[in-house]
Amino acid sequence: MFLRQSGIHHASYSADRALFPIPFDRWAVAVLLAFGLAAPWLVSSLTLSTYLLPWIVWTTAALGLNLILGWAGQFHFGYAAIMGIGAYATVHGTRHGIPFEIAIVLGGLTAAAIGVVFSFTALRVKGLYLALSTLALQFCMDWVISHVPAISGGTQATLQAPPLKILGQGVSSETGYYYLALAWCLLVTVFMLNLKRSSLGRALVAVREKDFAAAVIGVNSFYYKLVAFATSSFIGGVTGAVLIFSFYHAVTPEQFAVNVSIEVLAMVIVGGLASIIGSFFGAAFILLMPGLMNALITWVSARLGLGLSVETLAHLPHAVYGALIIAFLLVEPMGLGKLYNNVRNYLLVWPFGYTRK
Amino acid sequence: MKTKLFSAAAGLGLALAAAAPATAQTPIKFGLCYDLSKAYTFITPQVSQAARDLAALMNLKGGIEGNPIEIVVQDHGNEPQRGIECYEKLKREGVMVFDMLSTPVSRAVLPRVMKDGNILAQSFVGRGDAVDGDVFKWVFPIGPTYWGQAANNMQYIKTRHNNSLKGVKVAFMYIDYPFGQEPIGVLKTIAQREGADLQLFPFPLPGNDQASAWTQVRRFNPDWIIMWAFSNMHVVASREIKRNGISPEKLIVVNWINETDIANIGPEAAKGMKRGVNVFSGPNHPIIQQILKELYDKNKGAGDRKFTNDTYYNNGIAIYSSLFEGVRLAIRNEKLPLTPDKIRKGLESITNFNANGMIAPVTVTAKDHGGGGKTRIEMWDGAKWVPQTDWFAGYLDIVNEVVKEQSAEFLKSNK
Repeated sequence: MFLRQSGIHHASYSADRALFPIPFDRWAVAVLLAFGLAAPWLVSSLTLSTYLLPWIVWTTAALGLNLILGWAGQFHFGYAAIMGIGAYATVHGTRHGIPFEIAIVLGGLTAAAIGVVFSFTALRVKGLYLALSTLALQFCMDWVISHVPAISGGTQATLQAPPLKILGQGVSSETGYYYLALAWCLLVTVFMLNLKRSSLGRALVAVREKDFAAAVIGVNSFYYKLVAFATSSFIGGVTGAVLIFSFYHAVTPEQFAVNVSIEVLAMVIVGGLASIIGSFFGAAFILLMPGLMNALITWVSARLGLGLSVETLAHLPHAVYGALIIAFLLVEPMGLGKLYNNVRNYLLVWPFGYTRK
Repeated sequence: MKTKLFSAAAGLGLALAAAAPATAQTPIKFGLCYDLSKAYTFITPQVSQAARDLAALMNLKGGIEGNPIEIVVQDHGNEPQRGIECYEKLKREGVMVFDMLSTPVSRAVLPRVMKDGNILAQSFVGRGDAVDGDVFKWVFPIGPTYWGQAANNMQYIKTRHNNSLKGVKVAFMYIDYPFGQEPIGVLKTIAQREGADLQLFPFPLPGNDQASAWTQVRRFNPDWIIMWAFSNMHVVASREIKRNGISPEKLIVVNWINETDIANIGPEAAKGMKRGVNVFSGPNHPIIQQILKELYDKNKGAGDRKFTNDTYYNNGIAIYSSLFEGVRLAIRNEKLPLTPDKIRKGLESITNFNANGMIAPVTVTAKDHGGGGKTRIEMWDGAKWVPQTDWFAGYLDIVNEVVKEQSAEFLKSNK
C-alpha cells in the first residue's frame, strides 16, 4: 500500500545497494530523524530527559550487544560490565584533566581491550559455556569495582562525573545532553545499517551460522570473533560513558551490575536478534514499559476508585509487564523487529497477499 | 479540567467566606520514590505506611500550621533510571522534599538534587558524609549515620569492659558490598586508638551462605560481634551462631533487624541478641498509640494494622516527624509560599527535637545535617526489645573526621 515498489529500477550498482530503496522507507526515516532532531521543542522536558534520553542511550547499548549476539552469534551476559569499564575509564580520564572527546575514546578502547581479553574464552567455548564465561566477566568487574577504592571512588563507591565539556563548550542543558546521546546513537545506527551490506557483516553472519563452515569458505572465524568482540565492546564502552555524562552524572557499581546486563540482553531478545529497528523497539519495551505501565495502572485505579494499596500498585505493573513479554514472544518469537517486518512485508505486496505464500 | 475549576472556585469561595488570612490551602507534598517491588520490600511498605499515617494524623489536627500534607508514593523498583524518572516527574508536580530509601537510587538522584536545589531526605540510610551541611546543602540525613552507629557500638563495648578496649576481641561481620564495608574505616581507627583486637569477616552477597565466615569467627573466639546485614541474613546468621556454639549475647546487629526477622529466627532463639537503634522500639509510643486510636480503630489506617508493630514503622514515624517539624519551622519562620530554600532553613533550625521520645534529641544546623548521631543499644528479652543504655554518642571526633574526609572527596570530585 504505502510501500510501493513500482517504478524502482536498479540501473546502477550503487542504486541496487542503497540502504532504503523504497521511497516510503526513506520518507519514514527522514520524518523520524526530523522528529529526533526537533524533539527538544516538540516534547515536554520531562519526556525528553527521563524517557527519550535514556531510551536512545539504551538503544545504542542494545545495538552494540546485538552486534555480538545477533550478528556474530556469540553469547554475552556481561555487557553491562563492558559499559561500566568504559564509563569508569572515561570518568577517571576526565577527572584527570583529559578532554572529554579524547577520554571517551580512551574509555571505549579500554572496554574493547578488556572485552577482547575475555573474548579469548569465546574461541575455546561455545553456546551456554560462553554465556557463563561472559557472566564471569560481569562478576569479576563487580568485584574489582567494589573492592578497589581507587576505581570506585572511596567507601561511598560513587564517582561524580565532571561537568560535560565538548570542544571547550560547557554542556549542561537537557537539550545538550540529549543531542550528545542522539549523535552517538545515530552514529552507531548508521554503522550497524552499513554493517549489513559490508563484507565484515557477511563474515560475521557466516561465523554465526557455523564457524567451521565459515572457515571452509575462507572466513577466518578466529579473527572475526575477535573483531566482533572488540567492536561491540567499544560501542558498549562509549555508550556507558555517554550514559554517565548525559544521564546519571555520577557513576556507581550498581548502575552496571548483572541485572543491567540481563536487561540489555532482554532488550536484544525482545527486540529481535540482528534487527536494528528491533533494538529500538526492544529498548523502549524493556526500559520504558514498567514506568508507563505503572502510571497507567495507577491512573486506572484512581479513575475507578479501586483504592489499591501502594504495594499492589507496585507489583501489578510487573505482572502485566511479564505477561506482555511472554505474549509478544509467543506471537512472534523473533521479536518486535520481526513483528514490524511482518507488517511491512504484508504491506509490500498488498493487496496481493497470496504472493507471499 | 472542569472538576479542577470547580474545586478552585469552591476553595476560593470557602476562603472568602471564612475571611481567613491568605493561607492558600495547597497541600505540602512529600515525594516518596520507594522500591516497593524489588530489593527493599522488607522495609518500604512499613515506612510508607507510617508516613501516610502520620500525615493523616497531622491532617486531622489541621495539618502543618494549617496546611494539609500530601504523601505521594511511587515505585521505582530499585532501578536508578526509574528513580530519576520519579524524581523528575514529582519535581514538576511541585514536590520539594524527596525520600528515596534506596542507596542506588539516592546516589543516582544526588547530582540532580544538588543542581536543582531540592530537599533529599535520607535519614538512617544513604551516604554518611551527607551530614556535612557545608558540602551537601540539600541532603538531610537527620539522625545517626552508620559510622556513628558503629562508633557507638564500640563505645558500648568499652563501657562493658571497664572503660577499656585494650585486648578486647571484636569481630566485624558484614555483607561484602558498600553497605557492609562502610563502617570498616571507623571501626579500624577506633580499634587502633584503643588497642582493641578487631578482625573482619565478610560474607558474600546475597548473604545466604555465611558458613565459612562463622567458622572463622568461632576460631577467633571474639568477645563481641558487630554485624552489618539486613533482612534474611540475620536469620542465616542466627542459625550459624547456634551451629558454632556462639552466644547470641555477644552479637550486636545493625538497626535493620526487625520483627519479621525475629519471628523467623524464633523469639526464644534470639534471646540476648543486641542491636543498635536509632528510634524508639515497639508500639507503646504516644504518637503510634494516637494513630492506632484515631485511624486504625476507625478503619482509616493506610495499611495492615500488624505493620504498626514493626521496627520499620517506627523508623518511618521518626523520619517524617523530623521532616514535618522542619517544614513547620519553615512556615513559621519564613512564611508561605514554601520554597525548597525555605524548607532547608526550616530543617536547619530544628533544635533539640525528639518527636515525643521517638528519637534521640536532634539539633540540626547549617553545618550539621545529622543532628548529633546518638543511638542506643537494646536487647531482645524473648518478647520485646529492652533498652540497655540511654541515648549516647561516642568517638564523635573520629566520626567527624571520616565525614570531613569523605565530603571533601566528594567536593573535589564535583569540580
